[in-house]
Amino acid sequence: METIPSFFAILIFPSGLFLLVAGLAYEWADRKLLAQLQNRIGPRWFQPLADVLKLMAKEEIVPDGVNVPLFIGLPIIALAGALTAALYVPIAGLEPVRSFPGDLIVTLYLLSLLTLCIGLAGSNTMDRFSVVGATRTLTQLISYEAPFLLAMLGPAIVAGSWQISSITTYTSERWLLLAQPLGFLVAIVGLMGKLEMPPFDAPEAETEVVAGALTEYSGRGLALFHLGKGVEMVIGLTLIAAFYLGGVTSPLLFLLKTLALLLLVVVFQALFTRLRIDQTVGLWWRYGVLLVLVQWLIVIIGQRLVS
Amino acid sequence: MHQDQTVERFTVPIGPQHPALKEPANFLITVEGEIVTKAVVRLGYAHRGIEKATESRNWVQNLYLLERICGICSHIHATAYCHGVERLANVEVPPRAQAIRVLVAELERIHSHLLWLGVAAHEAGFDTLFMYSWRDRETVMDLLEELAGNRVNYSVNVLGGIKNDIDAGQTQKILAGLDYLEQRTRHYLDVVTTDAGFLQRTRGVGVMTRNQAEVLGTVGPTARASGVARDIRVEAPYAAYDSYPVKLTLEAEGDLEARFVVRIKELFECYRLIHEVLDNLPSGDLTTRMPRRIKAAETVSRVEAPRGELFYFIKSNGSDMPERVRVRTPTICNMTSVVKLAVGHQLADVPMILAGIDPCFSCNDRMVIVDRGIRQQCMSWDALRRYGIAYYHGNHS
Amino acid sequence: MKIGTMLKDVSLAFIHRPVTERYPYTRQATPERLRGRLQWDPEKCIGCELCAMDCPSGAIDLMVLDKKAKRFVFCYHLDKCTFCAQCVQSCRHGCLEMSADDWELASLSKEAFTLYYGEDKDVREALAGTASPDGSGPSSD
Repeated sequence: METIPSFFAILIFPSGLFLLVAGLAYEWADRKLLAQLQNRIGPRWFQPLADVLKLMAKEEIVPDGVNVPLFIGLPIIALAGALTAALYVPIAGLEPVRSFPGDLIVTLYLLSLLTLCIGLAGSNTMDRFSVVGATRTLTQLISYEAPFLLAMLGPAIVAGSWQISSITTYTSERWLLLAQPLGFLVAIVGLMGKLEMPPFDAPEAETEVVAGALTEYSGRGLALFHLGKGVEMVIGLTLIAAFYLGGVTSPLLFLLKTLALLLLVVVFQALFTRLRIDQTVGLWWRYGVLLVLVQWLIVIIGQRLVS
Repeated sequence: MHQDQTVERFTVPIGPQHPALKEPANFLITVEGEIVTKAVVRLGYAHRGIEKATESRNWVQNLYLLERICGICSHIHATAYCHGVERLANVEVPPRAQAIRVLVAELERIHSHLLWLGVAAHEAGFDTLFMYSWRDRETVMDLLEELAGNRVNYSVNVLGGIKNDIDAGQTQKILAGLDYLEQRTRHYLDVVTTDAGFLQRTRGVGVMTRNQAEVLGTVGPTARASGVARDIRVEAPYAAYDSYPVKLTLEAEGDLEARFVVRIKELFECYRLIHEVLDNLPSGDLTTRMPRRIKAAETVSRVEAPRGELFYFIKSNGSDMPERVRVRTPTICNMTSVVKLAVGHQLADVPMILAGIDPCFSCNDRMVIVDRGIRQQCMSWDALRRYGIAYYHGNHS
Repeated sequence: MKIGTMLKDVSLAFIHRPVTERYPYTRQATPERLRGRLQWDPEKCIGCELCAMDCPSGAIDLMVLDKKAKRFVFCYHLDKCTFCAQCVQSCRHGCLEMSADDWELASLSKEAFTLYYGEDKDVREALAGTASPDGSGPSSD
């Protein structure tokens, strides 16, 4: 889809406005499904939109002692990074807007930008909750990004390319879920850890550190971080669906597969207690990496045997 | 230049406004990294001057004032007050009223423990258990509404007896509700004792040995989880508890898991008690006449609230208003255990340890005037104990 | 040690309807003992004012216009009432009861919270004669 001008792509479709709306819609689906699993009614369809509008309308309080340009700029950078990552991913079942060899690595780094910005934002303020939350965010970043990255690289190995569009061409013919189930599991859990969804939400545990790294944020900054997380969820789900669930070649398949993945994520959310930060790191830094390395080993040996 | 590896040490304030607390309190937790090194608690944010307010209301009005000290344990506050005042006025409450008081007290205990289960699960991050246990709590709240007319602050007590009677229809509904709850409680016991994630948060956390529990003066399920066998319903039965004896629930480990298990097992005991009460409900009147003016005397009334021992001291002066009412709630006894146990644990464990004692901050705010330098009387623990025993023997039969 | 012990609840939740009551589109039946708005029967009242004396929050003010002729105006402060039903208990003649159906008592104006029960002419006389019957604090003897 080289025909879409970058300007349009990044502001309207498939990134930009479309992706922001999609992020809100997926957040609503997440909350509604979680509510159904907990035997209650969830929010109405416009709740995430109302939340964002309300936050935009509120006063943004800049606390004392922060680096003001950094305070104001970090949410913008985070959202920008998340939106840019969408250019290389098959959003809405269409071909990625831009594509070049090695764009898988670039996309994954752009996705981590959000977490890094949250960590920086937390360390920026002088509030104790923020500092503790930032420490936890960055710790979790280290323990979840690495397995997630490795799990995303699993399909890249079998496809023999670092370019997302080539990988998706390869995976749309075969379901890597069956060939690499461990990698799939690590990818899903890694996504949940990246997005700080329960049970890995120790960095923003409401009952311990009030809101983690984002405690001092209000108004527009908080709204942008909130939107950034929604966008990342959509992109993360799309990547995993494209790599492991047989590609997203049409908008309908995109919708079905990402919603199926969302259901799985929601079931994980409902079933488990929140883990303490040392438990999350201890668990995943050991088992996650172990699982994905075993997966890689199987893949590489499998490739050698076949060829 | 030799640079020490200094770890960041600062004070994290949990409260007065904090999502972990349902009511305001201030815990100043000093952490090094994630490990707690010191904890200090400051209370008093929910002080409403209730004890002073009792002095300008008559005996009947005070019943409703004291009932509203706490929303979850409202009936037991009213029961304690009624017991004290009835003893002062030398009035004998009919047995049917006593039995219904026990029934409502046990229903309230069920409600309180289910509420606590949900809140503690929420503190641990297990929202699903929170939602489901609160859904099941609705059953017992509907039962209480059937019986008393209100879901919270049931106001079944009056001085001299009970307002509302039980008929056969309500008995059926209570039994049906209890059957459902018993089945769900069994499931929750299973979840709490076997769920791997939950056990990671509760097993071995906040361990309090039996000696520590006794020295710190903890009461109620918190103490029973450490093996301290204290329960006012067993030691000094009030209302109809001598007709329906209670079995103590004890655990020995003293960690958070034990506190969960004790409270859930107490739920089973409550179901059994209610069945027994409904099977053997004595017939008779519901109230007796109470005088409006009560002659001058003082008395002590102790009952077992869902959180522990609740203690009332009531003094009358011959008029229709009390001279002094002093309330000592169980949470204030258990609060020191939180600050002692929190040291050495991680920051993430502190809300769980706090939730483990089942705190009720609105109950425990009283004013204490420390009188320094004017009179000083130091008593040893033994001397105080002997004084208390002599006082009891002297003032009540 | 099991993982995911609430799996059964969570799976069944897909087929069960949410338990949330969709008030105000549906209303559950209230039990008959529900303590709603207070109602006064003037026929049985003798004007002993025990209800006003025992009310913990001073929500009742019985204005006696003529005790022998049994002309009373019962002033009920709905915003002070705690719905404890002590007045129902204290009244020895059964004049008072709490309604089980009338419990949706929210209002946008304060006037709706001060109710005067009684004959119309009595109420007019009571309102004209006395000042605003507002008691700050419990009515004690």
